[in-house]
Amino acid sequence: MTGSRSKTVILWSIVWFNLIALSLPTIIILGASFTAGDIVQFPPDGFSLKWYAKLWLLDDFKDAFLRTLYVSVICTIVSIPAGTLAALALARYRIRFMTAIQVYLLLPFTIPLVVSGLGMMIIFGEVRILGQLWPVGIGLCCINLPFMMWAVSATVNALDNDLENAAANCGAPPLQAFLTVTLPAVMPGVITGALLMFILAFNEFLVSLFLTDARIVTLPVSIYNSIRSVITPDLAAVSVVYIVIAFFAVWLLDRLVGLELFLKSK
Amino acid sequence: MPGIIFLCRAILRLFMTSSDTPSFRYPFSWRLLDRAESVVALWPRRWAGLTGYLFLIPALLLVFVLVLGLVYICDYSLHELDIATYRLKDAFSLVNYQTALKSVTYKTVVLRSLGASAIVTLITMMLAFPYAYVMVRTPSSFTRKFLLISLFLPFFIGQVVRAYGWLIILGKEGLLNTVITSLGLPSIKLIYNYPAVLLGLVQYMLPFAVLLLAPAVTSISEDVELASESLGANWIQTFWHVVLPLAKPGLIGSGVVVFTLTLTDFAMPEILGGGTTDFIANSIYDGFFQISNPGLGAALSMILVTLGSVIVTIIFFLSGTGTLVTTGNTP
Repeated sequence: MTGSRSKTVILWSIVWFNLIALSLPTIIILGASFTAGDIVQFPPDGFSLKWYAKLWLLDDFKDAFLRTLYVSVICTIVSIPAGTLAALALARYRIRFMTAIQVYLLLPFTIPLVVSGLGMMIIFGEVRILGQLWPVGIGLCCINLPFMMWAVSATVNALDNDLENAAANCGAPPLQAFLTVTLPAVMPGVITGALLMFILAFNEFLVSLFLTDARIVTLPVSIYNSIRSVITPDLAAVSVVYIVIAFFAVWLLDRLVGLELFLKSK
Repeated sequence: MPGIIFLCRAILRLFMTSSDTPSFRYPFSWRLLDRAESVVALWPRRWAGLTGYLFLIPALLLVFVLVLGLVYICDYSLHELDIATYRLKDAFSLVNYQTALKSVTYKTVVLRSLGASAIVTLITMMLAFPYAYVMVRTPSSFTRKFLLISLFLPFFIGQVVRAYGWLIILGKEGLLNTVITSLGLPSIKLIYNYPAVLLGLVQYMLPFAVLLLAPAVTSISEDVELASESLGANWIQTFWHVVLPLAKPGLIGSGVVVFTLTLTDFAMPEILGGGTTDFIANSIYDGFFQISNPGLGAALSMILVTLGSVIVTIIFFLSGTGTLVTTGNTP
């Protein structure tokens, strides 16, 4: 880095402030989940793993966790082909009204989540699928789809057009060229996108709040419902599930595509 | 009609057995691929120009669900609630909009949301830019990785869990108040107020802002900074006159995202505000589920959509679209 000592000091103090703000809630939740007492307080009542031992006995949270997993898997499975094909179409094919279609496909980001959630609640109610679990997965796919397309289109631009032509020239029929040349080339984008879709679906709260009822609450809604003024350690232990999954996702993303990918300028 | 014939032939082709001799068979995957290939080949040559549109159909349909939802909400907003039956009347009217626009409560809520968006955007950008800058410019790959991981971890942890973390820290018998009382000072109310919501929102927006800023910082050549400093500018002047203007597209893009996400947020005001600092989204929720007036809630939704669109359009009009609109779709 160029510049003087004062620059380093000022920039790094802001960075450290950020680091503390970013990690403090996570660290505190981790700490609270290990308390031996029945409520979270400071200083804690000693160290124990009892809340983790009880975690699997909390049927409500266990069911909510499994439902969230199911919903996120549906969301990911639907978004992989939809997002990948759309990104390929926009980058590779001659499409009329390109700008209009791009703007249209960004609508999930421009329509406020609360409005999207309510709209889907009304529609799912009209076609009588509200109260089932799989529409929640579709709904989460609708609101986060641009992430999938963004991830794929970031890699599809790096793909050389001539590679597909070369494959065709060597006698590969269209599907084979697609499966052995195009798809592997955009795979890092597909993986990044799929991982993002899964994690975002796993965490999505507001839209799930609208699309689920008491029988089929997902984990974020269930945590929200359990937040009371008295803070109990079992909820902290449940929240740690999210922290663990986030750690795993970051590790996976780094292994598969490298986090530095996100620093690249287009 | 040609579509149906095409489908039938495709299905037939998929299940037809090929004339392999029993002594020699190609590997299963080959035969499967050949079969699939012959199905793909049924897509007529003269439709080749339509392949791109075919690829777009699933995504267009998924987004259409949201568009249809918006249409329904727009329709709801134009019908008044019948107090006798608690259903929306059939006749069209603008009563819901009149109620929403005249109400002092909703005016406060809108101003509060707008104010929060402005403050949160300003603070977030001031915090995020140095972070993005240091992350991109640091010579140590270990530091860069560390900063990236610290950014992605909270990014992957949802709003509810993070708000819960803040509750433990700021709550009545939380970490900060314990520290304060142990110093012999009276405990203070840190939660269920406007600053707590703003704090939660800034922390929530930071990863978004940094991740959108980082590519913009990467695209600024370090040589430009060196040139500026070799011409006698100190680092603050270089930052202000060289780095920030060059990063403007990234700043606008990321600022607009933070602004709109804050304007439409629900969870932070709900959990950290405790009902005292409702944003527009909370009022919409209450409209639907507390006072059971979907028409009014829908009208507030349409006002929120309009407000967001108008503000984003004004920003784009004044300062260009930034990095948002051309997101990597130029072949």
